[in-house]
Amino acid sequence: MTPDAPAATPTLTASEANPLDEVSPISAVTVRPGDRPAVEADRAPCLQCGGVVDDDGYCTQCGTKAPSPRDHFEEQPAPWVAGVCDRGIRHTRNEDAMALAVDGERAVLVVCDGVSNCVDSDVASLAAAKAALDVLRPPLPKGLGVPESVAAAVTKVFTDAAAAGNKAVLETVHDDVPNPPSCTFVAAVLEGTTVHYCGIGDSRVYLLPDAGGGQILTVDDSMAQVLIMGGTPRAEAEASKQAHSITKWLGKDSPDVVPRVGQVEVTGPGWLLACSDGLWNYASEPDALQAQLQAAGSSEPHAIATHLVAFANKSGGQDNITVALARVGQRPVEEVSTSSTSDSSTVGNNAAPDGGESHG
Amino acid sequence: MADFSAAVYQNEFLPDGGTDVHAIVTIECSGAGTAGQTGSGAAGEIIIIDTSGSMGQSAMAAAKHAAQAAVNEIVDGTYFAVISGNGAAFLAYPLVNSGPAMVPMSDATRAEAIDAISRLRSGGGTEISTWLDMAGVLFTSVPQVIQRHAILLTDGENNEPDQVLDEAIARATGYYQCDCRGVGVDWKVEEIRRIAQALLGTVDIIPSEAQMAAEFEAMMQKSMARGVADAQLRVWTPQGAQILFVRQVSPTVEDLTSRRTAVNDLTGAYPTGAWADESRDYHVAIRLAAKDVGQEQLAARVQLAIGEEVKAQGLVKAKWSDDSELTTRIDQQVAHYTGQTELAEAIQEGLAAKAAGNEELATTKLGRAVQLAKETGNDEATSKLRKVVDIDDEDAGTVRLKKSVEKADEMALDTASTKTTRVRK
Repeated sequence: MTPDAPAATPTLTASEANPLDEVSPISAVTVRPGDRPAVEADRAPCLQCGGVVDDDGYCTQCGTKAPSPRDHFEEQPAPWVAGVCDRGIRHTRNEDAMALAVDGERAVLVVCDGVSNCVDSDVASLAAAKAALDVLRPPLPKGLGVPESVAAAVTKVFTDAAAAGNKAVLETVHDDVPNPPSCTFVAAVLEGTTVHYCGIGDSRVYLLPDAGGGQILTVDDSMAQVLIMGGTPRAEAEASKQAHSITKWLGKDSPDVVPRVGQVEVTGPGWLLACSDGLWNYASEPDALQAQLQAAGSSEPHAIATHLVAFANKSGGQDNITVALARVGQRPVEEVSTSSTSDSSTVGNNAAPDGGESHG
Repeated sequence: MADFSAAVYQNEFLPDGGTDVHAIVTIECSGAGTAGQTGSGAAGEIIIIDTSGSMGQSAMAAAKHAAQAAVNEIVDGTYFAVISGNGAAFLAYPLVNSGPAMVPMSDATRAEAIDAISRLRSGGGTEISTWLDMAGVLFTSVPQVIQRHAILLTDGENNEPDQVLDEAIARATGYYQCDCRGVGVDWKVEEIRRIAQALLGTVDIIPSEAQMAAEFEAMMQKSMARGVADAQLRVWTPQGAQILFVRQVSPTVEDLTSRRTAVNDLTGAYPTGAWADESRDYHVAIRLAAKDVGQEQLAARVQLAIGEEVKAQGLVKAKWSDDSELTTRIDQQVAHYTGQTELAEAIQEGLAAKAAGNEELATTKLGRAVQLAKETGNDEATSKLRKVVDIDDEDAGTVRLKKSVEKADEMALDTASTKTTRVRK
């Protein structure tokens, strides 16, 4: 991501209503009579202490702010596919988004990461992820059977998916917004033993086998990547000042929304991972991520995704965190896929938010 | 039915490791109606007049006139009584020996009371504890009265050990409210302020006898406008949090911290007394365990409750941030009232030092008061300070104690020390 803008200052709307505020510009009314409650009915217990969350959106015991459904959501469309999308610690809202789908043996993982100094990037990223997923739902075309034509046909689908995501981003914004929203986009489609993937920006797709070396499938569109291409070691490049400035994105001012596309054959059991930089900031190299998969101590993707998010938060949680996982090569023994078609069923208390209306 | 609203002014951003949250909560009441007329219960007023021997003929005449003026302001139907106080307390009106010792106001009882007041004579000492206790007894005799208010006038020092007065104050605390006025310069501000603060009332000096009637009239009018009999300020804080203080800061500074009663494990209630259509500001300071940067939590729910019903709520928040531009700001309201609270302390400590003969400390404290009065725009305090000190440099707080000071001016400065101004417009 581009370097973060300072957290948005509270809007000082009080000045029209209260003459005191004209002379006290930093004195903002935080609650007014008649304000709508911050959360709807049917609230989940406090994540911190298990206490009851009040109408005002805060725990009645420990005062912790209850996360909105946009701040933290989870999906598990099949026992072998799951994702967790989380606000992290340092950011005031979750501008990451994901959208997952499973159809039989086929899995689609989409991750978008909203650019943090833009207006409504949380709305835009979720809209983009959902729109791109819809394009990737049907099986990929086989072309004329020869590898070249398959590749061309798949590239066309991914390009359409990126275009649909881009269109969705543009539709979230009025023309006159000075800082229009934008986001990254990665997608991974597992069909049989083949992984097709594409990327724009610096979210990533990894293939992480249980045994042997893993690999970063996508290539970042970032200043860090430019440095890496120029010969700078990855660790050094990713720590550089402009590392997180992205060179391609979805959104109004994007120079180009054609993704870089690729494919790889799965040779053994392991995990397909799509994630935002909120995770890979703390474990960029495949072996570092493989170590965390091990550390999760589970063969269940939802548990592993939860562990990876917790790992990123424990490491500082400087950015929003998205982890989407699909088991490849071999299903875990206890899980047999029964349903032929299942969409993103939800896990836990936090359903996937729709349309971003519930943010903020 | 009265409406309450709450607004919170604060900088909710705390630096990494920051623990202390300050907020000003403004509670505003509208549609309060008239005391005893809102259907929630009857109101009662007691006028307590000092009739000790120190009250000279003209002072006594002025006091009677003032008491009569106050009686005239009492709304029909309000239960009332008049106490004449010296070394003991006497029921001046109504003239009863048993049963209810307060009567509803009507044309007839008003005329009777005015006549009874005109017959009062002065003599004897000043034992205020007996006055306070009698007021309590009178209110107890009319259980239908739920809103209890008294006006107390004195002209001299109390002739009782402090402890005796304090015990009487304690018996009255939480039962009735009392506004106190001193006439002349022979009474002690500190003593009478103790009564007024405990009984959620005001204290002031009436410098001249001629002003007495107008002052009593105004006091009674204010009391009659309080249509909300009693309300509590409730403060919820999260588990493990510590309340550093809860203060009323407008219209006057009153520290309520020690007056907390527990509502439940996490919520305490503080007395606020009766309300008219008015707005009061409260300064709440909470200490929390620091959370990680980016985390947000509630530091306090500040509520105005009548009985068990919460009528208004303001949320005091804490958000930890590493953006020093956000975290280093001090909310202007918080800064203003912090200054005004220090101003009240500086004036009281300065005058106490002066009375004790410590001129150096008095000069320092009153100098600081001059500086704070300027900074916070409290012009009334500045003009009252000018009568006690010569100001060399207002901004630096350099002052000299005046050679000769009118005692009344010093007392006026003292009684007004807790009055605050709102943020300058």
